[in-house]
Amino acid sequence: MAPTIQYELSSPPTDAVSAIKFAPDSPTRLLVSSWDRNVYLYDISGEEEGGKLIEKYEHRAPVLDVCFGADDHEAFSAGMDWQVKRINLDSGETEVLSTHEGPVKSVVYSKEQSILVSSSWDLTLHFHYLSSPEKETTVISLPAKPHSLSITSSKLVVAMAARLLYIYELKSTLLLTSQSNVASKLDPWQQRESSLKFMTRAVACMPNDDGYASSSIEGRVAVEWFDPSPESQARKYAFKCHRQPDPEGEGTDIVYPVNALAFHPVHGTFASGGGDGVVALWDANAKRRIRQYQKYPQSVAALCFSSDGKYLAIGACPGFETAQEEYSGEGTKLYIRELSETEAKGKPPKA
Amino acid sequence: MVGKKKRGHPDIEELLARPWCYYCERDFDDLKILISHQKAKHFKCERCGRRLNTAGGLSVHMNQVHKETLTSVDNSLPNRQGLEVEIFGMEGIPEDVAQAHNQRIIAGFYQAEAERRATTGNPGPGGNAGGQPKKPKFESPADLKKRLAEHKARKEAEKAAGTESGGNTPLDGAQNSPLGQSPASFQNAGPYIASPAASYGAPQSAGYGSFSQEPYSQPAVAYQQPYSSQPPFSGPPAAGFQPQFSPPQQQYPPSQSFPPGQNYPGGPNQSFGAGSPPGSYNGYQAAPSHTPPAHGNLPNRPPSLPPAPGLPQRPSFAAPSVPTYQMQQMHQGPPASFQSQQNGWQGNGWKGQDQKAAMSSAYPPHSQGYGDYSTNASSVDDLVSGAAREVDDIDEIIRMAEAGIKPPKKGDSTTAPPQASETGAAPTLLEPIAKAETSGKKSKKDKPMKMVYSDNEISPEEKMSLMPRYAFIPEGKAESSLVGGHTALVVAGIVDA
Repeated sequence: MAPTIQYELSSPPTDAVSAIKFAPDSPTRLLVSSWDRNVYLYDISGEEEGGKLIEKYEHRAPVLDVCFGADDHEAFSAGMDWQVKRINLDSGETEVLSTHEGPVKSVVYSKEQSILVSSSWDLTLHFHYLSSPEKETTVISLPAKPHSLSITSSKLVVAMAARLLYIYELKSTLLLTSQSNVASKLDPWQQRESSLKFMTRAVACMPNDDGYASSSIEGRVAVEWFDPSPESQARKYAFKCHRQPDPEGEGTDIVYPVNALAFHPVHGTFASGGGDGVVALWDANAKRRIRQYQKYPQSVAALCFSSDGKYLAIGACPGFETAQEEYSGEGTKLYIRELSETEAKGKPPKA
Repeated sequence: MVGKKKRGHPDIEELLARPWCYYCERDFDDLKILISHQKAKHFKCERCGRRLNTAGGLSVHMNQVHKETLTSVDNSLPNRQGLEVEIFGMEGIPEDVAQAHNQRIIAGFYQAEAERRATTGNPGPGGNAGGQPKKPKFESPADLKKRLAEHKARKEAEKAAGTESGGNTPLDGAQNSPLGQSPASFQNAGPYIASPAASYGAPQSAGYGSFSQEPYSQPAVAYQQPYSSQPPFSGPPAAGFQPQFSPPQQQYPPSQSFPPGQNYPGGPNQSFGAGSPPGSYNGYQAAPSHTPPAHGNLPNRPPSLPPAPGLPQRPSFAAPSVPTYQMQQMHQGPPASFQSQQNGWQGNGWKGQDQKAAMSSAYPPHSQGYGDYSTNASSVDDLVSGAAREVDDIDEIIRMAEAGIKPPKKGDSTTAPPQASETGAAPTLLEPIAKAETSGKKSKKDKPMKMVYSDNEISPEEKMSLMPRYAFIPEGKAESSLVGGHTALVVAGIVDA
């Protein structure tokens, strides 16, 4: 096996990473949002010099999430300043799309539906209709604080506190919201309880729109399918990961939160990143781990595969631990791992 | 045994020492690799891919987790599919199977050695040089002269004692002929010269010589050189072989000062036939070294008993490295079947079993299974070699083995949860959620754990957001409003929940 190439991006954020996103078209264009109140745009090509920082977009408050828009030149950010912003990556101009009543945790964009969805700790989702800017943002209230969002061409998954999980069918939701703006009590297509006993940390949808993976603070990942039929639901499973035997305690495991999940756009496998600094690749269908990379010196906070699946970007920063009074994201690093052709490919399911 | 270490091919001892798999007869460099092979190939659950430690463990796992019954061990030879034998690595292999395996290894070894010798034309080092009519091994002139001198001295002694044995005469001729460079007789004698085989040949040849030399030349032809050391034993004269051993031994004691029965209690026949340990074999070996003073008395022997006139000629009497089981095999195995058995193992012998396997269609064709093996071999090796970068449960086993810890028998029961998630056991052991997460099984599964982040209500981001370091003060609002806003959020959350 050819040694996989990994390199560190120069000029990483000065504080913890909140999100990493590759551009929809160019496999080397990377957005990173950070607690240091900036959104960074990198060109990761050129491993010798550690990529290139193209631009830095300053915000008023820590940025909690970022995503690309319709093309490589448009981005959306969500931040502690309660605002959802559109950033023109070329000109650097920003435009506030909506203001929540609390910090905005996540923001996702659906190219197919041309909508932007943001979720905030004010217990709402905001649907932004980018194709018809004149249309007012739809506000949908949630029963609990949203922790993570994931969107596919047809569905939106909202993972919330209290282990709640809502799945929205985008088309029908949009149809309803287009008919009336009084959609605040709109019910999701499916309401589920997380398969995991502990707080959901991240959720990520399969690229083939069949299901999603979710992770919790207790070193576990669950894989589930959208299809509500009993057959499909019987396929769901969960497994432990990102744990280490406690060197001090006899038989005790140190259990790390699984902070990040990212599906490979081509192979449909997924990566998990944990507080232990480990990134592992999993084959959801074969229920196997494909590989596990050498530990990163710090907690893995965010992961993203490039659109062609050739690169895996890893954001590592000090992990936030229980009862931590002070926290500093100093020492945050960004790594780019160039994947070989079959590195993230799952094995065919055993006959 | 000169040059033994320089050979590129393994010694028979090394071959026999290699760990091998009971189920598929494959051998491995290392016991750890064997164990990982067994887990990967024979003890792996085909439903979930979990690797168990034993067939019994897999059976229990299949039964409890998948509600299925394991009837046979995967990828195993047709006669090794049973679950009743508990195998872990090299442990648990039935004695008879182990012996059969060793015999096969030995057969293969000699076959390979013969082939090497045929292609290189080199005589084998140490153990089995001779027996090759076309490439007789010449002793160095110095040796020849030495032997000639010894022989002459012996003749003199015999003459002087007036005890020239008639039975020995032809043999002496045959033995001495190489000294005289007589090509014709040299070929027959060749095998017994300059090789440990000669250590057998010498004493025996005396006896055989008195019968006829055919038994030697025949096996030499039949087996070609591979069995240069074996023909005396396994060849057609096998029946006559055992008596040849015992008489000299029984005779030595009287002819020497050994009390009868002390050194050679029980018959050598018995001990050899039963696969005696090398000790008894060496007992026989030791005898010749005592013969020089004794052999003057040899004429006393009846002609049918092989004397050991040739022994003194070989002062550097090396014990041939023929293991016990080989001796046993030589004694037991009819030459013909031995030959075919060897072919069977070496060549397409498995195919016969394939057919058997194919008949019982429950099992995959073995040819396929073997194809898998080669690939598996590499993959297992890859795993092992790549342990540094890729942690796997194979790796874990190996690490534990290195640490002297026996791998946990976690596979033996499903009550043992997939603990080693960090080391990768988990992915192969993903259990249905219903059981793993939501049912009341938690007491069984729970292992003491220390969560790095254990607040199940408030996410790390929320906590961070409360820190002054990250605090955001909305424009036109006082700091208190942030706090107030946050409290409101919390309240709202409670109400809504």
